[in-house]
Amino acid sequence: MNERNILLGKIKKYDFTLKELDLYLDTHPNCRRALAMFRKYKELRENAVGEYTRRFGPVVPEQVNDTEHWTWVDDPWPWERR
Amino acid sequence: MNLDLFGGMEEFVLRERESSAGQTDFRQNNNGNNGISEFPKNTPLAMAYVPFQQWSETYDDDKALSRGTLFPELDLPFTGGGSVR
Repeated sequence: MNERNILLGKIKKYDFTLKELDLYLDTHPNCRRALAMFRKYKELRENAVGEYTRRFGPVVPEQVNDTEHWTWVDDPWPWERR
Repeated sequence: MNLDLFGGMEEFVLRERESSAGQTDFRQNNNGNNGISEFPKNTPLAMAYVPFQQWSETYDDDKALSRGTLFPELDLPFTGGGSVR
């Protein structure tokens, strides 16, 4: 697996963990341990997404910063990954 | 004819919740359940109950994604009828 896919895999599992904690916190809004874990994973995700966008381009179109070229359409698309 | 089957149900549920909460420490605890126990103190017959999740250990993020849940106590694969491990 190349670095790009490894990084995408990290973002995917951080996203999943954050969604799980989100759902748990909806019914347990005062759980400090879940809140602490949510903060930790939010930071992990931010770092991973930051690194990904710096090195490989946007994860979502809003992250396109280029003034010359719409980098969102650059290859590879998710179904072209190997 | 008006069969008021569910009249007063809300009051009943509130009373149940208070009586279950009354048993435990209602201050914010580490556990985050606000003292809400897994089941109410009184569980009258003929009513269905959903246990209230209590915080415990979690899977690591790799395992969570592959099992489809962060919580081992919710890792209950559907086996198509029959026993769940």
